[in-house]
Amino acid sequence: MIELSLRGMRAGYGAVEVLHGLDLDVPSGGLTALLGPNGAGKSTLLSVVAGLLPLRGGSMTWSGTDLAAMPPDARARAGMLLIPERRGIFATMSVRDNLEVFAGRGADLDPALLAFPVLAERLTQLAGSLSGGEQQMLAMSRALLRDTRLLLLDEISFGLAPRVTRQLFDVVRDLALAGTTVVLVEQHLSHALRMADLVYVLARGELAFAGEPGELRGRALPGYVSRAATS
Amino acid sequence: MLALNYALAGLGLGAIAALSGVGILLTYRATGVFNVAHGAIAMIAAYLFWQLTDQWGVPVWIAAALVLLVFAPGLGIALERVVFRPLHRRSATAAESLVATIGLLVLLVGIAYVVWGAQARHPASLFSQRVLHPGSLTVHLDSVADLAVVVVGTLLLGLALRLTPLGTQIRAVVDRRDLAQLSGVDADRVAAVGWVIGCVFAALTGILIASQISLDPFGLTLVVLETFAMPVIAGLTSIPVAIGAGIALGLGQSQMNLWAPSNAQLLSVWNALHANLPIVMLLVALLVRSRLAEAGGDAGSAVTFARRRATEPSVRRMAAQYAVAAVAMLVPLTFGDVALRQAQQIPALAIIFISIVAVTGYSGQISLGQAGYAGLGALFFGKVSTSTPQLVALLVAVLAAGIVGFLTGYPAIRRRGLFLALTTFAVGAFVSRFVFSQPSFTDNVNVQRPSLFGLSLRGDHAFYLFELSMLAIAFLVMFNLRNGALGRSLVAIRDSEEGASSVGVDVRVLKVLIFTVSAMLAGLGGALLVQQGQSFEATTFDPLAASLPWFAVVVVFGADSAAAAVVGAAFIVLVNGLTGQDNAYLIPVGLLAAFLGRLPGGAAELGRLLAEWLTTPTALLRRYQAAVPPPPPAPVLSARGRAALDRVRSLREARQQEATPS
Repeated sequence: MIELSLRGMRAGYGAVEVLHGLDLDVPSGGLTALLGPNGAGKSTLLSVVAGLLPLRGGSMTWSGTDLAAMPPDARARAGMLLIPERRGIFATMSVRDNLEVFAGRGADLDPALLAFPVLAERLTQLAGSLSGGEQQMLAMSRALLRDTRLLLLDEISFGLAPRVTRQLFDVVRDLALAGTTVVLVEQHLSHALRMADLVYVLARGELAFAGEPGELRGRALPGYVSRAATS
Repeated sequence: MLALNYALAGLGLGAIAALSGVGILLTYRATGVFNVAHGAIAMIAAYLFWQLTDQWGVPVWIAAALVLLVFAPGLGIALERVVFRPLHRRSATAAESLVATIGLLVLLVGIAYVVWGAQARHPASLFSQRVLHPGSLTVHLDSVADLAVVVVGTLLLGLALRLTPLGTQIRAVVDRRDLAQLSGVDADRVAAVGWVIGCVFAALTGILIASQISLDPFGLTLVVLETFAMPVIAGLTSIPVAIGAGIALGLGQSQMNLWAPSNAQLLSVWNALHANLPIVMLLVALLVRSRLAEAGGDAGSAVTFARRRATEPSVRRMAAQYAVAAVAMLVPLTFGDVALRQAQQIPALAIIFISIVAVTGYSGQISLGQAGYAGLGALFFGKVSTSTPQLVALLVAVLAAGIVGFLTGYPAIRRRGLFLALTTFAVGAFVSRFVFSQPSFTDNVNVQRPSLFGLSLRGDHAFYLFELSMLAIAFLVMFNLRNGALGRSLVAIRDSEEGASSVGVDVRVLKVLIFTVSAMLAGLGGALLVQQGQSFEATTFDPLAASLPWFAVVVVFGADSAAAAVVGAAFIVLVNGLTGQDNAYLIPVGLLAAFLGRLPGGAAELGRLLAEWLTTPTALLRRYQAAVPPPPPAPVLSARGRAALDRVRSLREARQQEATPS
């Protein structure tokens, strides 16, 4: 039912607290969009859920298990996947080695190569030498190579051409339809609102809105220019 | 036939260089850290081996197994756990990891020095030292065995890493640790494997080398440091190239014996070249290369450990602190002769440390060759003052050191991070070997204390006051470097070279300038240091015994502060004076530098913690209580969340009803 449940979540970097006691639930299956202006704490939230940043207060449960004591690699092996902002790839390794780290050695790489055929032509190339779009496809293919129960996407369309963005979102939609729970942090409001079942809006580390995408139409989102929200 | 015999002799040296160079390269590829302490780990392992075999009578092969299979892996795991994992947790830069390895080197050398002394030992050889004579050839069995160990060892390891997922995982962790974890890789365990591999190779190097050369804390460590040439020639990537470079070095060195010139003057240069070929190779390789394939991309600069204070302290508070410090500096004048003579080292060392603050703390450039400039200042002073008044000679020495700094600052323009650190180290080592250790340069040197317009400064009190006045000048220089447009530009370079140049700061000019000023300060400090001791010793300005520990002192006491440099100098002199051992300070300084991950604030942070603990033990308790998070509340759904969930649920039910044809 509830895949991910956050209660009174506090987190930050050094002396700066970014999230000030956030309550948030992500239902199982379907796509939850996390919106908000720069600095709202969206990426921080995903980093804490994935275990890259420590939880400073409150609690965090994933399908009933307490996450606080679970190291990030154990979360990944249990089916949680964060595709981090920008280049989520090993730049000094070949595309094949990247895929093998993602999948585990000897695993079937076909799902990724079928979804992104361009990667099949680049297997021996260093991942850092791929174009921005190809790098993001490589990063995204992690979701296809593992059994992913909870997929956390941090601005996967950042700085990419519309065609590539569409290709990436097609994969996200397919995964969501197949039963993966997706949490999407996105600047492209139109994409996010079209695909999402549930929308949360963060502002300055607190929840500013929770509801269906339709409810947002015609409303001014905190931190956004109203045109963006209504488009 | 003679040539072939020389070649075979060279093979032994080549095997050593290859083994040690490959070990450094392997550690680098397996951990992402350029382990400056590789040689010190080798040295400690060799001492353990010697202790087991020579002192306790353990059979050679059992002792080797204990060192290689128990001690070295244990050390690797411990290093990952207590030194490098905390650094990763803080997302420390590669420069900080480099400093931690320098700290480790300083610590291990200090321990060996205190435990086993400086006396040279001769451990047993692992392999038979028999010499075979097939035909008219001379074959040393142990050098052939050494070479076989390197080749077979690296081949086996390479194969193991290629055939198991571990190799890919290691590379993934080195490339991007966070992403590897997000991919389900247990990064801590993989990193520990990397350190185990590195430490086993270091220990193997130590045991094999120690039987061919003698074993002492500095000597063996320095031999391994000199083989930095091999990984650099291999571009930090190719293991076969590193092995080849090692063998080429050995062969080259032995062939040079054949071509020795007959001219006596040329011969001394030739001999110096022959003995120090690794340093020459390192320097040439570093100067020829335009970049190194650094693990995980750019190594970054020294920014993080140079920036400690969040805000600038108030002027009034600083004035008060400086007043107290100035009075404290006058206290040694009341000391007896012996103590005063020891205290005289403080201002001289402090000025050298301040020169490191200028280059590393103020502008973020790592310089591991500072003792070279200090030694040059000392030597120029000694040479010039035989024919001119000492004060003029001092001025000339400072200017000359500045000119050398200007010339060596030039390669720094396009280098930073690890690349720059290695280049400055190589320059320092080169100067040490080709100038300080050559009798033709160090003969006929006069390091008398100066006199000022007929007023002699030779008395201990007068000389100490003279040193203090020089220290005041150094502070004045630093004040001007820190403030105004120049200071801002330097800080801008420290924080981001690209950013600085994009707003019109001439990075090239400023880098050369800071290297020049820093070399001048180091030269001044070096000249004062030899005036204090009234003799010139090459070891005072050794790259291993001086440059690296001095750098560690500055980082530990606060790379950003000239005043901290004085405290660091006082600390060294105090510790050495109290323990009566020249290198006792290496242990506390090495500890603090190696544990940079746990104590990013260095000595100041440790002092603050101790003071807090001594004054109010409860404060410490409160700190720990605050660190423990309060128990999490029971997961109940907020009203808002419940409403949203209900809507989603009804929405989905509605969709499903639409989808199923009724």
